[in-house]
Amino acid sequence: MRQIEALLLEPVGCLAEFPSAPFHEIAVRLFGRKGKPGPSASRSYWRLLNLIDSAATEKPLNAEKKRIADNLEVEAVDAASIYEDVAPALAELKSMGIRLVVASSLSHRAAARFIERNSLGEFLSSVYTRDQAGGVKSAPLLSALRALSIPPDKAMFLTDTLEGIKAAREAGVHPILMMNDPDEAQRLAMHNPAGGVVSLHEMPDFFRLLAAQNQRG
Amino acid sequence: MKKVSIYRPTTVDEAIQILSLHGTSASVYAGGTDLLVRLKNRLEQAPSYLVDIKKIDHLRYIKEDEQGGVEIGAATKLAELADSRLLQEKYPMIVEAVGKISSPELRNASTLGGDLLQEVWCQYLRGGYSCWRNGGYLCYGAIGDNSYYHSAMGGRLCYAVYPGDAATALIPFDARAKLATPQGEKELSIEQMVPGDMLVDGKIQSHVVRYNEILTSVVIPPPKPGVRASFEKLRPRGVWDFAMASLGMSLQLRDKTIEDSRVVFGGISGKPYREKTVEAFLKGKTLSPELGEQAVAVALADAAPLKYNATKIDMAKGLLASGLARLNT
Repeated sequence: MRQIEALLLEPVGCLAEFPSAPFHEIAVRLFGRKGKPGPSASRSYWRLLNLIDSAATEKPLNAEKKRIADNLEVEAVDAASIYEDVAPALAELKSMGIRLVVASSLSHRAAARFIERNSLGEFLSSVYTRDQAGGVKSAPLLSALRALSIPPDKAMFLTDTLEGIKAAREAGVHPILMMNDPDEAQRLAMHNPAGGVVSLHEMPDFFRLLAAQNQRG
Repeated sequence: MKKVSIYRPTTVDEAIQILSLHGTSASVYAGGTDLLVRLKNRLEQAPSYLVDIKKIDHLRYIKEDEQGGVEIGAATKLAELADSRLLQEKYPMIVEAVGKISSPELRNASTLGGDLLQEVWCQYLRGGYSCWRNGGYLCYGAIGDNSYYHSAMGGRLCYAVYPGDAATALIPFDARAKLATPQGEKELSIEQMVPGDMLVDGKIQSHVVRYNEILTSVVIPPPKPGVRASFEKLRPRGVWDFAMASLGMSLQLRDKTIEDSRVVFGGISGKPYREKTVEAFLKGKTLSPELGEQAVAVALADAAPLKYNATKIDMAKGLLASGLARLNT
C-alpha cells in the first residue's frame, strides 16, 4: 500500500455509536419499510442509503421527505455517543499530516451538527455530505477526492459494513474495516478489505507502519 | 518449505556484516524451533537468508560473573539451563520456569535467545493469514478465535500474546541483555528489550532488536539476600504448550515484610506484563495468607479482554494468589 494522504470518515459507526431507530424510522416513513429497527445502526444506515440510492434514479425524494429525513438524522446525531478515542486519535493523525475529511452520506445539517456537538471541527480539513455530492455511498467520497485533488489510492475510508467496503472500492480508495463487532468483522474480513483496525487509536500506528514500509521500498 | 540460503559465520562481527547486507530478509538461526516452523509454513514474513550462529564460539555458556551474578550465552540450550547446577543454586525459580517451557525434546534444541526473541504463535499468523506480521494490515486474532494466543490487555495493531516464558522469569531478577550491533555492544534490560508490539525496521515485532543486531548474552544480577521467587504457569496441555497465563514473581523480604517486588504476568499481553500496581500495593505489606486475595483485588485493572479470552485474566489473578501463598510457606 502506498503512503496515505487522507482518511475519509463516515461518522455513523466509525466515530460514534448511533441509535438505529431514527434510520429505521426514515426507511419506514419514506420508503414504506416494515419491521423493527435492528441492533446495528450502521447496517440500518447503509440499508437506508441503498433505498435512497435506488430512489434517486427512480423517484427522487421531494422536499417534504427530505425534511423528514434530515430531522430524523439530526435526532440520530443528538443521541449518538462519540467513541472516547476519537478526539485523541484525530489530533494525533492531524499532527502527522494526514488530511482528515468527513465524507458522509448524512445530510449536511446532520454532519455539521455531529461535528459541532463533538467539537471535531479543529481536526478536520473538510466536510463532504450527500447534499454537496448529490448522492450517497461512494458519491461523497468521490466528491471529496475531486475537490481536494487526492489520488484515490492515497486515501482510506473507514467503514464497518459491506456496503461501506463496496462504496470505498467504487471510489477507488482503500476500504479499512472498523472492527467494532468481532462477529460482523469476521464476516466482513472475507470481503478482503485493505486493512482493519479495532479502534481509531490504531490508525496513527497504521500510518507509521506504512511510512516505514514505503521508506524501505 | 520456503527456499533459503544459509550462512555459517564463525564470529559475531561476520554475522553482523551478513545481516547488514541482507537487511530484513535475513535472520539469525540458532535452535530453529520457531524459525524453521515459519519457513516450513511458507510465511511471507519468513526470511530468505539464515545466519546460522551455532559455529560462533562464546555464545553457549553459563558462567558466574565477577559480581556473583550469572551470565548465559544466548545460544545456550534451554535444556542446559534446566540442568544447570549454578542456576539451580542461585535462581531456582528460573530453572523451574525453563523446565515448563515446551517439551524436553524442544528444550534440547531451543536456545535462550530464541525463546526471548521468538515470533508470536498466533494461529492466524502461523496459518499464513495476511496479518500485520505477515504482510497484511488486519489482526484476525482480534476478531476470530482469541481464546488461547491473544492478548487480554489490549494491543497495538497485532493482538497476539508474547509467548516466551524466559522473559517472564528473568524480569523479576532485573536481568539484562547484551547485544552486538554494528556500532558496538549495547545493553538493555530484558523488560526494555521485549516491550511488546513495536514498529522496528518497517515491521511489527515483540522486541526491539534490529535486523543487524545479535543478542549475545543475558546477565542476571547476583541474588539479593531475602529474595524469594516463584514461577507459575497455566497452559492448555501439561506439556508442549504456551502459557494461557503465567506469573514470574520475586519478593524482597525482611522477615515477612515485603520491601520490594517484581510481578510479571506472561501469556496475557503482547509483552511480559509487569504489574506495577500490584508491586506498589505489596510494598511494606506483611506476607500473610490474606495478602493474595487483597493483591488480586488491585491486579490487572487495565484488562481489556477480547471476545473469548476474559478467562486469561481470571487465571492470571489466580496465579497471583497461588504465587503469594506459595511464597508464604
